[in-house]
Amino acid sequence: MQNVYLAATSATPEVDFRFDSHRMSLKGESYPENAQAFYGPLLDAVGSYLAACRGTTIQIDVQLAYFNSSSTKLLMSLFEQFNQAALAGNHVLVNWFHDEEDDTILEFGEEIAEDYPALELLTQALV
Amino acid sequence: MSQALAAPSSQQIAGQLLQQPPTVQSINTNYDVLALFSDDIALANLPVVDDGRPVGIINRNTFMSQLARPFHREIFGRRACTAFMNAAPLTVDYHLPLTELSYQVLSAGEAVLSDGFLITRDGEYAGLGQGIQLVQALADQQAEKHRQMMESIHYASVIQQSFLQSSRREMAAALTDYSMIWQPRDIVGGDYYYFVRRPHGFFVAVIDCTGHGVPGAFMTLIMASALKQVLTSHDLTNPAELLGAINRQVKESLGQLAEHEQDDEDFELRSDDGMDCAFCWFDTDARTLTYAGAKTPLFLLRPEDEEIGSIDGNKKGVGYVGTPLDYTWDNQTIALPAGSRVYITTDGIIDQIGGAKRIAFGKKRFKAALLSRRDAPMAEQQRELLARFADWQNEHSRRDDVSLFAVHLP
Repeated sequence: MQNVYLAATSATPEVDFRFDSHRMSLKGESYPENAQAFYGPLLDAVGSYLAACRGTTIQIDVQLAYFNSSSTKLLMSLFEQFNQAALAGNHVLVNWFHDEEDDTILEFGEEIAEDYPALELLTQALV
Repeated sequence: MSQALAAPSSQQIAGQLLQQPPTVQSINTNYDVLALFSDDIALANLPVVDDGRPVGIINRNTFMSQLARPFHREIFGRRACTAFMNAAPLTVDYHLPLTELSYQVLSAGEAVLSDGFLITRDGEYAGLGQGIQLVQALADQQAEKHRQMMESIHYASVIQQSFLQSSRREMAAALTDYSMIWQPRDIVGGDYYYFVRRPHGFFVAVIDCTGHGVPGAFMTLIMASALKQVLTSHDLTNPAELLGAINRQVKESLGQLAEHEQDDEDFELRSDDGMDCAFCWFDTDARTLTYAGAKTPLFLLRPEDEEIGSIDGNKKGVGYVGTPLDYTWDNQTIALPAGSRVYITTDGIIDQIGGAKRIAFGKKRFKAALLSRRDAPMAEQQRELLARFADWQNEHSRRDDVSLFAVHLP
């Protein structure tokens, strides 16, 4: 499984998916004009990666300051995939980073934890 | 035929950059070249052409600096001018499109910018093109494309705003103290609002369609027409039912059904668009507000409240693939004593990045801004909010469309 690295742009986050070490990271902002075009290939890559995971411990670090509504839907699809993988016996740890004053991002993380209970989601305040 | 699709008039070609400076033949001497460069101080590049066949380009600066070297003039003066010629200049056809030319120039390297390039017609030398003119032509072309696009979007904005006019008129007729902010991020946008009055109340919808800009604006038209249609057959005093009806209509018209809801093969091509929104019916006699929300909360400030409260709607958006076809939203009915203020906003204000830490404006700052002018007329309260919002955004770019409906009920 090929690792994926995409440098951040003003409208897309840095993507660092190290499938070989089971660590993924998303960092930055997400409001591309065509969110499907940006996230579609990532969802596919994650799908193939997860299909081969058995009892694996996977860590995902998310540090997003802004994402628009179409990115939100695709991020949800991503967490949905990880949630399925967690239900299938993998251990998925999500570190959800947010600025200590950023309630909007914090609340979003809490919502993901609520919607995808199989994920072990930890909200982490950045001071 | 593919020709029918091309727009020859708008296609810019290399030939437009054509210049016809004097030329020399490869049998001419360097003294001949020196004479030409000395006669015309503006002559930067001299094409070498033998019987219509392009041979090379002699660049003034290269030539002069070569000739200035010790004894070079004496040694090379009477020799053929090909000595200091760029013998492999970029050579392009007269009809080569400018954009294609610019890529060729880039891959040919820096020399093209100083030496220029040869332009041929049917393989025969036609003239010379200069790098600086190419840059100028590309800049003009870019500016022209931008102008055309902006004109088109500005006109689209006229259409979109005229769509909002009846709601504006109805608001002005029904409400005494209110404010409606509608600021698309890109001239047109995906935010939309609808307002209509009835003898015993009014209905208001604040809608955030997926996307912004032109695709967002397309979505507002789809949603506006769906809303208009369901209003003919459904009761506007039941907002939750309206949301359910729009959900069904949009999912069916855009083919946004989940995999098990349809048998279509083109799963990849389907859109997944919809709207987050708040629909409200205010009953003037009963003084109750019936609210149904799709990922859009309602903010409230009643006279006895110390803080601005909020009521969350359902967590499903309307029309999306992930929202079931038969999903039902919930109505919540709230008593609103005289003097109550109601705010409905799309996520554009609350999610806007700004401040020293580049984080979202957030609900806290939103509420604090409103509370700081809690008894002021709506227009003044909105001014305060917008001033704080602008301060927060500062030099950061606007991330999304911004809409806010706010009403102070007498």
